[in-house]
Amino acid sequence: MPRVYINHLYWEAAQKLSRRRLVVICFGVIAVYVLVALLGVFNLLPDYQTRVATGYEAPSFELAKLLGTDIFGRSVLYKILAGTKTAMLIGVLVTSISVPIGVILGALAGYYGGFVDVGIVWLYTVISSVPYILMVIAISYVIGKGLIAICLAMGLLGWVGLCRLIRSEVLKTRNLEYVAAARVIGANDFQIIFSHILPNVVHLAIISASLQILGAIKSEVILTFLGVGIQDGASWGSMISDATGELVQGIWWPLAGVVFAMFLIIYALNVVSDALRDALDPKLRGTTEVADGESQVGVKEAVVQKA
Amino acid sequence: MMVGYIIRRLLYIIPTILGVAVLVFVLFTVAGEDPVRVALGQHATPQAIADLEALWGLDQPLWKQFLDFLGQIVTFDYGESYFTGEVLSEAFASGALVSLSLTLPPFMLGLVLNIAIAMMIAYYRETWIDRFSTATAVISMSFSYLVYIIAMQYFLAYELEWFPINGYAPGWDSIPYLVLPWLIIILVSIGPDVRIYRTIFLNEMQANYVRTARAKGVSERSVLFVHILKNAMIPILTFTIVAVPFLILGSFLMERFFSIPGLGDLMITAINNGDFPVLKGMTMYITITYALFNLLTDLLIAAVDPRVKLN
Amino acid sequence: MAVQKISIWQKTPQLVLSALLIATVAVPLGCRPRDGVGNTDVKVLNYFRGATYKSLDPPKQFDVASAEIVENVYDTLLDYHYLKRPYELVPNLLEAMPELGEDKLTYTFQLRKGIKFHDDPCFPGGKGRELTADDVIYTIKRFSDANVNPQSYPALLQNRIKGLDAFREKTRNQKDLDYAQESVEGLEKIDSHTFKIVMTEPDPLLLMSFASSPLSIMPQEAVDKYGKDLDHRGVGTGPYRLAQNPRRGEIVLKKNPNYHGTYPTEGEPEDQDKGLLDRAGDPLPFIDEVRLPLIEEAQPRMLKFRNGEFDWIGIDRDNFPNMAYKDDKGFHLKEEFAQKFDIYAVDALSSFYITINFRDELLGQNKALRQALAYAVDTQAFIDKMSNGRGHALNTIVPLPIAGSEESVSAQWYPHNLQQAKAKLQEAGYPDGKGLPPLVMLYGSATPQIRQSHEFLRAQLAKVGIELKAEFLTFSDYLRRKEAGSFQIASSGWGADYPDAENFYQLFYSPNKAPGPNAGSYSNPEYDRLYEQMRRMPPGPERNQIIEKMAALFKEDVPAFFLTTPITVGMHQKWLLNMKRNLMLGSHFQFLDIDAEAKAKGLE
Repeated sequence: MPRVYINHLYWEAAQKLSRRRLVVICFGVIAVYVLVALLGVFNLLPDYQTRVATGYEAPSFELAKLLGTDIFGRSVLYKILAGTKTAMLIGVLVTSISVPIGVILGALAGYYGGFVDVGIVWLYTVISSVPYILMVIAISYVIGKGLIAICLAMGLLGWVGLCRLIRSEVLKTRNLEYVAAARVIGANDFQIIFSHILPNVVHLAIISASLQILGAIKSEVILTFLGVGIQDGASWGSMISDATGELVQGIWWPLAGVVFAMFLIIYALNVVSDALRDALDPKLRGTTEVADGESQVGVKEAVVQKA
Repeated sequence: MMVGYIIRRLLYIIPTILGVAVLVFVLFTVAGEDPVRVALGQHATPQAIADLEALWGLDQPLWKQFLDFLGQIVTFDYGESYFTGEVLSEAFASGALVSLSLTLPPFMLGLVLNIAIAMMIAYYRETWIDRFSTATAVISMSFSYLVYIIAMQYFLAYELEWFPINGYAPGWDSIPYLVLPWLIIILVSIGPDVRIYRTIFLNEMQANYVRTARAKGVSERSVLFVHILKNAMIPILTFTIVAVPFLILGSFLMERFFSIPGLGDLMITAINNGDFPVLKGMTMYITITYALFNLLTDLLIAAVDPRVKLN
Repeated sequence: MAVQKISIWQKTPQLVLSALLIATVAVPLGCRPRDGVGNTDVKVLNYFRGATYKSLDPPKQFDVASAEIVENVYDTLLDYHYLKRPYELVPNLLEAMPELGEDKLTYTFQLRKGIKFHDDPCFPGGKGRELTADDVIYTIKRFSDANVNPQSYPALLQNRIKGLDAFREKTRNQKDLDYAQESVEGLEKIDSHTFKIVMTEPDPLLLMSFASSPLSIMPQEAVDKYGKDLDHRGVGTGPYRLAQNPRRGEIVLKKNPNYHGTYPTEGEPEDQDKGLLDRAGDPLPFIDEVRLPLIEEAQPRMLKFRNGEFDWIGIDRDNFPNMAYKDDKGFHLKEEFAQKFDIYAVDALSSFYITINFRDELLGQNKALRQALAYAVDTQAFIDKMSNGRGHALNTIVPLPIAGSEESVSAQWYPHNLQQAKAKLQEAGYPDGKGLPPLVMLYGSATPQIRQSHEFLRAQLAKVGIELKAEFLTFSDYLRRKEAGSFQIASSGWGADYPDAENFYQLFYSPNKAPGPNAGSYSNPEYDRLYEQMRRMPPGPERNQIIEKMAALFKEDVPAFFLTTPITVGMHQKWLLNMKRNLMLGSHFQFLDIDAEAKAKGLE
């Protein structure tokens, strides 16, 4: 498809999206979280380590104690803000590893076919045969624990879904006329892939990216609970894993605070991903649910050719 | 031609298994927890370490250990767990059974329930019911699995005491302990599954044959139940069947919180202990099951759906 | 053609009905009668196990979960007195304590007559036969076989019995050595019930090894018949037989009617008033059956205990604030619980501390810096905050109820004092922490408790200007780093293998340096000299004087700081009798008794 059409697609999509109020609100929510995360990166957030009380305190109306305090008297609100930075960082890191890999491998597999395709398909079949959690934990053992490790681990495993999609899209488009035309002109493979084919599949990457960020945030929680995730510092996962013991003592506010904070961003990401999908390619409805860490449901590879 | 396809697929499984074997071997033998040190704890002196390694065959050169591992795969005999001494094939069998009793009933029940809900929503598409349900689905998908488990276990079992907090009894006695986990699994599945099925139903509703049926005067209810459902079953099954081989792994979070002795829990314990035989064996079993299962479903789908061509 | 919409009211009832149906079926399925209700003729102890055991074959285990069961099925030559404190050795399978010969190297053991193994198919006719000296010698040889026992031999018998190390070396080279063909110089059989053991050097601690569960006496017939299966079955002389043993299910122990043991006739002064001597001299065990389901999570265990389904339970950090409190006089249960349960609190036999690595350039040469660390941590505040006060700040490295601890040795550790800490920091060359790089502490796991503990310490040290960082490693990586001596400070702990201070002071003996248990590679020739002296002396005032000097050196050099020992707090149902928590015994089911009528009533 000519470039002009693609730009038009995005422009139209943006217009469609801006007309829906809920979507705009959710974009706003995401922006707020990103802002908080940036503040955290530049150390502009209040220090969550400061003791505002001596021990557990239920929520009250002071700013720091809005969501109560934890066992050391630290503000739950401040911890959640610090955790926001961690969560967004994880989302971005994981996605920036998995999406490029998924796109590149998917494009190569779809375009070249033959051995390249067989090799890449073999690779992702092998990876998706091993239980996800097992792999993530094992990889993080090799690399060491902590933020970078689990981001790498999730990134190295998360490209499979996107790769499959891109591969099947590329398979469909590589034989289209404009590609043949480009070859006739004398464009080499590299140019064809980058200038003609990829632009048609980038929207898949965008949609997948938003789902991946969501998935990464949810997975971090579970991984930290299992003991492989973030160790030092504040993360939502560590707050939740502390919560089980606290609930029994009647201390509900740390859990409530974290759940609420997580819910907001995940919900916003869900709404935005759906809206993106509807706007960029309504034909895709129902086929881009990406793998979730816990239930490993992927997209089936049956070749269904509609009559 | 069909036979040829089957043979080709079976042969193709071999490089996959080899790939997984290398991956698993590297990950768990070369990295990960060292079972010898975990077992010895505070008494891990160099001599003790050497003795235990000899006992467990870990002092052999790596290539030899890998060949032994390949041999194990072929004979389906993964030896015994380092830590419990159980013969692995028995441990897998009993663990798999337990895990299945945890995951299969809610899977089936959830399937039926979610299809029913999705059909109803598709029927009422574009009405407030549709929008409300979709919104609820998205909301319910925005909570972590962990949160569901913690909250429901706390409120329903601990506070209200409607269910046992956790535990397990063998055989039919296990049912009282499984009910709450089942409920949680079904609850968590409603959001994502209903959304997907609804989409599938809506897609089907736009197809030509539906317009034809309606034009012929078939009642809306009949259109829905008979025609659309039949055709929608294919993509629905396609979607859900992929998850089946992994049912056997149970749910490690559930098993941990509810003390259910299934494979998921076995796996997490094995990771923490560096129990190589268990990890290697489990992964290979899953891989082989998954590959065979994929083949089976592809064949089934091809048999059922005339639009599908095997290549 | 208009499509008629079916009213929503026609669809809803179906869905609502289905939901109701599921709910009504689910809830009654979820409720079920409580365990433990039964008849009053059979006395049943309902307890639990928190982890699966590693092996029930004595020389193959050295962990608490296994010992708990092994000590019920088997017997050791000696044991610890149930009631007396500090923990004291008593003969178990022996007529009397072994006699030490003139040469101070030979012990003569006299076995009791008439002790029978459990009935088991491995014996001819299925009847258990009498225990003899042959069994003991066979057991010791098998225990020393490197192919059977890689782990507990070094701690218990290495370098102690003449010829035994050589025997062990031989088994390394020859996997299927026939024990009967090999004689060991230090194991001498005199007659069917008498044997001698010859030591390599005078060693007052040797007898303690024979009270340890890996050295439980077993019959050769069982090994020949069951081989590897002994990981899951037992044939011993102990108070209970293993009746049911599903891997993750409920283990059932049944009374051995021919057991030789009797309830102690003496105890501590307060035991009489507590009714702990009511059954003095009666044959054991009193309880007919013990049930041990596997429950790994803490919450459900507590709930079952409160329902009466378990007879006793430990109180952990999460439950403590709800149920108990601590005051000057000790630990007590809150009102509503004190009516139904009794509480107990005992000092643990392990100590936890932070090891300093002397190979580290920063800390190894800078004594003032190490002392600053010692002053800077408020150990008692840590215990109060992180463990509900269930612990003691130690003055020496040795836990309290152990011979040679601060209960008999005068020693005083550094008090928590910020001024002093700052002064020492200045002396060390880092006034207010300026110029001091962050210290890195190694941990072997990353549970929420550990992370919180770290946060506490970090905040404490920050007050004097010391920055503390953490490295949370996997357990095996943690061990590897300590073996390699590549760490700065490490969170450490040691559980007593036997109740003697020597087991703790050896952790700082220089020949034991990394990769040995002296992970910090502390080396002080004077300390070493005193240790070697103390090692050969029997417990007593003379030895205590030496220990006092060692403690003083320890304090001066600070090879470790932040010394704590936990207090184990728990509670039991009022119908559980004779309960005196003994931490040296892996299990004391045999001494307990149940008031069956009170229990049956309590469960209704």
